[in-house]
Amino acid sequence: MDSEDDMHDANDVESLEDFYSGDTAIDSDDAADGDYEFIDNDSEDEYDDFTSHRNQQNYTILSEADIRQWQENDILKISTVLSISKVEAGILLRHYNWSVSKVHDEWFADEEKVRNTVGLLERPVIEFPNAREMTCGICFEDFPSAMMSAVACGHPFCNSCWAGYLGTSINDGPGCLTLRCPDPSCAAAVGQDMINTLAREEDREKYARYFLRSYIEDNRKAKWCPAPGCDYAVDFVVGSGNYDVTCRCSHGFCWSCTEEAHRPVDCGTVCKWIMKNSAESENMNWILANSKPCPKCKRPIEKNQGCMHITCTPPCKFEFCWLCLGAWSDHGERTGGFYACNRYETAKQEGVYDESEKRREMAKNSLERYTHYYERWASNQSSRQKALQDLQLMQSVHLEKLSDIQCQPESQLKFIIEAWSQIVECRRVLKWTYAYGYYLPEHEHAKRRFFEYMQGEAEAGLERLHQCAEKELQVYLNAEGPSKEFNEFRTKLAGLTSVTRNYFENLVRALENGLADVDSHGACSRTTSSKSLGGSRSKSGRGRGTSSKSGSSSRNIDDSSHWSCEHCTFANVRSATICQMCHNRR
Amino acid sequence: MANSNLPRRIIKETQRLLSEPAPGISASPSEENMRYFNVMVLGPSQSPYEGGVFKLELFLPEEYPMAPPKLGRICLDILKDKWSPALQIRTVLLSIQALLSAPNPDDPLSENVAKHWKSNEVEAVETAKEWTRLYATGA
Repeated sequence: MDSEDDMHDANDVESLEDFYSGDTAIDSDDAADGDYEFIDNDSEDEYDDFTSHRNQQNYTILSEADIRQWQENDILKISTVLSISKVEAGILLRHYNWSVSKVHDEWFADEEKVRNTVGLLERPVIEFPNAREMTCGICFEDFPSAMMSAVACGHPFCNSCWAGYLGTSINDGPGCLTLRCPDPSCAAAVGQDMINTLAREEDREKYARYFLRSYIEDNRKAKWCPAPGCDYAVDFVVGSGNYDVTCRCSHGFCWSCTEEAHRPVDCGTVCKWIMKNSAESENMNWILANSKPCPKCKRPIEKNQGCMHITCTPPCKFEFCWLCLGAWSDHGERTGGFYACNRYETAKQEGVYDESEKRREMAKNSLERYTHYYERWASNQSSRQKALQDLQLMQSVHLEKLSDIQCQPESQLKFIIEAWSQIVECRRVLKWTYAYGYYLPEHEHAKRRFFEYMQGEAEAGLERLHQCAEKELQVYLNAEGPSKEFNEFRTKLAGLTSVTRNYFENLVRALENGLADVDSHGACSRTTSSKSLGGSRSKSGRGRGTSSKSGSSSRNIDDSSHWSCEHCTFANVRSATICQMCHNRR
Repeated sequence: MANSNLPRRIIKETQRLLSEPAPGISASPSEENMRYFNVMVLGPSQSPYEGGVFKLELFLPEEYPMAPPKLGRICLDILKDKWSPALQIRTVLLSIQALLSAPNPDDPLSENVAKHWKSNEVEAVETAKEWTRLYATGA
């Protein structure tokens, strides 16, 4: 894992940019520098860094050809080192879940035991009979010995019964990979050589597929990409930290739980959240479609019959109008009679009445609370889908068009693709912060406050980037010819991309850290935060430890040059009277 | 007719079952369908089933011997995943006889009987003897 350190070092340079600073610094060094060449190189490096981080760091995407190659290599290795046939090596590796080192360990610890367990006999149990003619133990027919076969044990069966035996087993599923001799008292393994000489053509092919699939499915460090229709597998260096992987089919997923990628939320929370969604969704849809919350006590109420005059159940007993949710005392003949509500009708006609908005305001009880997070989780999900489509459209159509209009080679327009990729990634992170928020304990006020602040900032930053990539780009896409301002646009969008990326990376780390900065009072002063975060990254890796509060940099907060905000714990410089973070007074 | 294409293996097995029957076991094919056997297993001596005659129906499916014979609801590994085409009707029936000598209360057909057996084996054995006398002596 040498390369992981390299990656951190590369990132640390960027991390010097301030992450907690409220005004996400477009005026930071690299963006303010008007030299496009410089920015291009810079962003290209960043892009490479980004891809290596994604693809080459701790996992490898395997195509079918790769799998075949890797499997072949491992078999060859074992066959050579153990001086056994390749077929035997294959049987052995499969038994030990394709772990070369495990095979080595077990074999050299007790070869005989391994041979007995796996069924690799060194010499036949019975002499293969020397007679000219023999009786097959399955069909009881007599055959010349040339038409009989046996595995290493020597128990002879006729070739036609072998074909039936192998075919039955292969059609029963991948269990055929551990097939033994038909003799009930014999444990000799049946390998691919027997399949290839005795099984029928279609059975041979099936077996070969099971054998190949086994290299992924029985392997503790490889998994298939879970995207529908995708044939790639991902080989993962277990224990190398973050589980998010991106398949070559562009599906991003968590290698550990195979749900879609979900940093900064851990697998357990994701599982809980997904189960909750599926359990709640039916109830939730029904309640949203058929009920309204009481305007006073917020309990959901189903109206099953009768007039619009609703009286909530005790102890609430609030009387209200089903249509406008206003107090019933305001109703009567002057509002259009007891069976209609003018206020509602007028408001609806004018389009003022936003029922869902009203509902959100009422998000108080647990169901409403869940809905609050779920809606935002789901809407970021659909935003992400839309952004993904936009990205693909950009790659397939718009980039070429833009290149023509602005007379720029497409290689110079990579910053737009980067921006869109970043938007897609940020939407994903933002989505999961809502599951994070849902499970963040209510009583941890400081953490909640800090979390919501960061989430809000992230959301705002992303909106800025999204706006720039979507709306501002449109101008240049619709232009007649090259625009003078295009280079400025490039600077702005590349700057926004970089700033947003940093902000989100830091957000992810802070959340994975369990918001440890909140405990360690003010480890987030303007000068110390970025360094302590950057430092902690290179030492402890992602998602592990809370080392951002260790180290001297955060302790010097105790000196008299700072005051800690009692609302959000941010360490402000002494001269400030308003918290730089949450804008509350000292 | 179902008997016209009977594999040689089934014919040979049937002949041997009739000419050299295993002790305490009889199996004879039905006249209409040679794949269908009427089986009788004697309760093993020194078991609660001693003196009883247990009737079974055995059927050889089309895939036999690649697939095991069908024999009602008996929990026996060789009738399921441990089946091998080198096993025979005779070996299956001997296994069933052995099961009567050593019943496995961890893999029962009747939950209640198994519970009884595990909580009070002496009493359960008495019940088995009683039921054998009542229902399996052909009286």
